[in-house]
Amino acid sequence: MKESIVITGSGIVSSIGLDKQETLSSLLAGKSGVSPVRYLKTAHREFPVGEVPLSDEEMKSRLGINAEPTTRTVLMGMLALDEALGEARLLGTNGRPAILVSGTTVGGMDKSEQFFSDYLQNDSRNDYIKIHDCGTTTDMIASRFGIFSMATTVSTACSSAANALILGANLIRSGLTDIAVVGGTECITKFHLNGFHSLMILDREPCRPFDATRAGLNLGEGAAWIVLETERSALQRGVPILARLSGYGNACDAFHQTASSEDGEGAFLAMDKALRMASLQPSDIDYVNAHGTGTPNNDASESQALRRLFGSSLPPVSSTKGMTGHTTSASGAVESVISLLALRHRFIPANVGWHTPMDNGITPVCHVMPDTNLRHVMCNSFGFGGNDSSLIISLYQQHHE
Amino acid sequence: MNNPSVYIKSATQISIQQPLCESWMQEPIIHEVPYVRCSDPSFRDWLSPMESRRMGNILRRAVVTASEAMRRSGVSLPDAIVTGTGLGCIDHTEAFLRQLYEEGEEMPRPTSFMQSTHNTISSLIAIRHHCHGYNATYSHKHLSFDSALLDAFIQLRLGDIQTALVTGNDEMPPTSFNILQRAGYVGQPGQVPASEASVAMMLTTDPDGSLCEIEDIRILTLPAALPSFSEPLDAILMGLNGHAPHDEVYRALQQQLPAAPLLRYKHLFGECLSASALAIYAAAHILAAGTIPAHMSKSVRRHTPPLEGQGEVAPVRRLLVVHHSDGHQISLITLRR
Repeated sequence: MKESIVITGSGIVSSIGLDKQETLSSLLAGKSGVSPVRYLKTAHREFPVGEVPLSDEEMKSRLGINAEPTTRTVLMGMLALDEALGEARLLGTNGRPAILVSGTTVGGMDKSEQFFSDYLQNDSRNDYIKIHDCGTTTDMIASRFGIFSMATTVSTACSSAANALILGANLIRSGLTDIAVVGGTECITKFHLNGFHSLMILDREPCRPFDATRAGLNLGEGAAWIVLETERSALQRGVPILARLSGYGNACDAFHQTASSEDGEGAFLAMDKALRMASLQPSDIDYVNAHGTGTPNNDASESQALRRLFGSSLPPVSSTKGMTGHTTSASGAVESVISLLALRHRFIPANVGWHTPMDNGITPVCHVMPDTNLRHVMCNSFGFGGNDSSLIISLYQQHHE
Repeated sequence: MNNPSVYIKSATQISIQQPLCESWMQEPIIHEVPYVRCSDPSFRDWLSPMESRRMGNILRRAVVTASEAMRRSGVSLPDAIVTGTGLGCIDHTEAFLRQLYEEGEEMPRPTSFMQSTHNTISSLIAIRHHCHGYNATYSHKHLSFDSALLDAFIQLRLGDIQTALVTGNDEMPPTSFNILQRAGYVGQPGQVPASEASVAMMLTTDPDGSLCEIEDIRILTLPAALPSFSEPLDAILMGLNGHAPHDEVYRALQQQLPAAPLLRYKHLFGECLSASALAIYAAAHILAAGTIPAHMSKSVRRHTPPLEGQGEVAPVRRLLVVHHSDGHQISLITLRR
């Protein structure tokens, strides 16, 4: 890739922290945010979830807003974006130097599922109808800041935020913008909790990615953003450069709507594309933050893909979903920020919940590995429908070549 | 090749006009009711009855238009499949919601949920055609298709890919019409019918046999300084829909654009979140034909039957398509022959 795309800011909100600092502490301690459901009003108390430890009202209070109508997905998105734009020194900036690309699938479903009968029968909740869709979610988040010349929304299920990064990077490469703020946001809803339950892929216990006894995923929620920028623009603005987005790949498994192929073809192709773009060999990757949901299907398929790609030079791999839960559309960004923290603070996060190796599976890193130099980190996000994406975040060295 | 040009090789639709053909140009069907569903082709030519039933409307229309766009372009395995959808598979979504609402959370059934996510469309096309290339879905209200088109366009210009199937899909089942009317989006006084559509087009870097070239795509948050247009425009195609506050935004935009004859298309295709896909589809075929059907000129009164004859024989070589989403963001797409 010719022009360097660097990272100048990030922000994150999830069940393991309300900002990067808290998230880092949790990661270093291997502390999980998955616990019995607390905020979502669901009858399914049996499924542990990774909820952001704030009510909607508390989120509004933190944001200093009192606006209704709004949705939990919007509120989380705003909280994390405050942090990312703050770090990148874009808050209160003149003009509209950036493009926003967000990944979400549920949008305002947290409200729509509450008010559905009103939508059908009366006019009392019409304002919420207007904020149901994915695009409006993004527009509402963007409107808090006024710095975006364009905004759009990716919706590819669990790879949405990863694909948002890919579009953002391509928009930069095409010269349409110097700065792309990319990521995603998703809150837990009864809709997709019951949806995943109907597919029998939720675990009643805390999930165990890549473990022989794994029985499904735990749903999580959160929001995370990364500020991508041309190296030239970052140097011009004098803002610290945190890392480099050195490669990415998007491929389709083209196998089944809700299951991955046995040989992980889509995953393999996506990771391979990312390596080629970054001009890296498999052996150059120092850590893989796996998709690793803890479902029998994903972990088997992803293991196959990893083995096919890395052969005998498989780097340390861990899934951090044992701590955050599966944050679905936001996961590509949540886990990119976790990967960025790992890179910058020189540690490999633990694959919490793992005890027993699975047949033909990869053996993940199950204790935090501090004091580990990482040059290139790969972050995977594989969505329903076979929308598979892989990102490579690398150390930044000025005048690298 | 540095910055190759991008062409629309084929483009087809299922809408409230005759499906999978361009008869709307000479024989438009004028709908004078507030809500119209698609004129569907016989799906039997592509799908088994079981597949057809299981998919539901938006998915089977998407699959068929995609197949046709591929067949007509001669590209059976595109490097990318990129889809825009404003509300996704809203029928399946409503079915699952209704289930939760009426039956509670006891025994949710998976079928509706599995097909409810927005990216079901794009991945279903990939599954059916064994396409492992780049695959993405955009859901950004009225600019969903425009976002998908922009994504494919920049990748083609960057040389990352050589072909891309770009689709725009939205459906309007009765429940959606009722809910969206309540929110003021459709069924407004003076407005064209609420409708639905599936559009598929094949983009390539090969000019041979193409309908037109895509010169530029911009998506901008208002207020914004519009780009200047160095070469003359033969016409501007706008998404006027008859609802005064909505059309006022286009009037204001018109002041900032070069003087050129204004055209409309929603009098044919109605209003839906994938309307801009229909605009690009229509523009591509108009450029290929070289003439503008008279009934698309803004000066013709809304809901007037088409004029006799072939329409204005004006050589049309460069068109600007303008689309706005709630007066908040706009897309400016320049096409030429």
